[in-house]
Amino acid sequence: MNAQRVTDDELHAYVDGQLNPDRRLVVERWLADDSEAAQRAEDYRAQAALLHELFDPVLRESASDPVHDLTEKLRGRVAGNDNVPAWHAKPWVRMAAAVMLVVAGAGGGWMGRSAVGTSPAVQQRQTLQTFAEEATQAHRFYTSDERFQVELNADNQDELNSWLSKRVGRDVFGPNLEKVGFRLIGGRSLPTDLGAGAQYMYVNDANKRVTLFVGAPQAGNPAKFGFTQNGDVATIYWVEGSLAYALAGRLAKEELLGIAEAVFNDVKAGPPRRDPPPQQQQNPQQQPQDQQHPPEQQQNGVQPISDTQKPKDS
Amino acid sequence: MSSKFGVELEVHIASLRRYARALLRNRSDAEDLVQEALTRAVARADTFKAGTNLRAWLFTILHNVHVNQVRSKAARPDEVDVDSVESKLVTPARQEERVELREMMRALDELPEEQRKVLLLVALEGLKYEEVAEMLGVPIGTVMSRLSRAREAVRAKLANEGSVTLRRVK
Repeated sequence: MNAQRVTDDELHAYVDGQLNPDRRLVVERWLADDSEAAQRAEDYRAQAALLHELFDPVLRESASDPVHDLTEKLRGRVAGNDNVPAWHAKPWVRMAAAVMLVVAGAGGGWMGRSAVGTSPAVQQRQTLQTFAEEATQAHRFYTSDERFQVELNADNQDELNSWLSKRVGRDVFGPNLEKVGFRLIGGRSLPTDLGAGAQYMYVNDANKRVTLFVGAPQAGNPAKFGFTQNGDVATIYWVEGSLAYALAGRLAKEELLGIAEAVFNDVKAGPPRRDPPPQQQQNPQQQPQDQQHPPEQQQNGVQPISDTQKPKDS
Repeated sequence: MSSKFGVELEVHIASLRRYARALLRNRSDAEDLVQEALTRAVARADTFKAGTNLRAWLFTILHNVHVNQVRSKAARPDEVDVDSVESKLVTPARQEERVELREMMRALDELPEEQRKVLLLVALEGLKYEEVAEMLGVPIGTVMSRLSRAREAVRAKLANEGSVTLRRVK
């Protein structure tokens, strides 16, 4: 039992994710036996979670002008950092930095324990986190079986967008992610804590899927964004304008971040102006009397939320 | 695009800003510290070797600038009491909601600065122990013992919450 006595340093390294991998199992075995040590590890994690709660809001603030200017200067000077043009919108940069630095889910149940007394700010945070969790679950669920992955496919994107806009009650659209190699295959509408949400599904050449979940929060708060990892599914979420977005995929955080950036930029650029399908008449955005046009299949796809309904096409 | 999505530098600077805020607790002091550190980083950019640890390089510069600032202010040590510190917090509204956050802040304030730095660098900024040792110019064993003492002190205070009286920092 004492043969592989774990040191105090190793307990810290375990908590900080700096432990030698071959010692990890030893430490875990020890923690399973020693409830006092397990409690210490949990308390240390809880401390880290509290520090993040206290200071992560700094990540959402803009840097002062001089700091911002110096960052640009430094970018130009430091070797190994290409002089990247300001291709990224400022809010994106802040979001990306925050996503990389925020530890989500740290503390696990411990954090949940105290989520009782809630101010509106806390409530909104929780709502967004719930939204992100729903997006994660929906991703897991609807990528598990290709037959039910979408209610309405993306053959006619205008139709898809206007149908989902109606469900969500805001103008939503599936951004173009071709720049990062992902093609829109379709979407579905789902009930969420924030009302109806739209899930857009994308696939790349390697048959990897990502889903973008869009919903309408009660009050837009442009400064909120975050990252959660649930098993193998990573989710990045944020609020832009009057909509909340959650992008989920079985990808590394950095890879997902690259896709989130494409979403962010395309959403900023506004709804698509794609050529109308050749066989149809010009149909800019949305017809005022939209009841006339939708084909029957759409009606079939729209009604049920459940996936027992036969998809239009697969 | 050799730097990951072109945001690596921003990530490090956001991290510096968060650390500076946690260390100094005051928004404008923290931005000033980061500003001075970046000014020096720009001036000494040619000493940074491509492919080496940009984050460690930046944190080390920030640390040195901070040490110098403290040294030059040493003649006039200012005592800050917990209440006035709390009024400057990042998120005052949320602050009141959660006793743990208040207690964590207070526990942090009561740590000796050398322990506070190590705790923040490791637990908040996720620096490697070796990076912290190099940045602070101390052996790694010292980093570990400061970390351990800091965590145990905070733990004792959080366990004790409720019976905490207002104390002076430092």
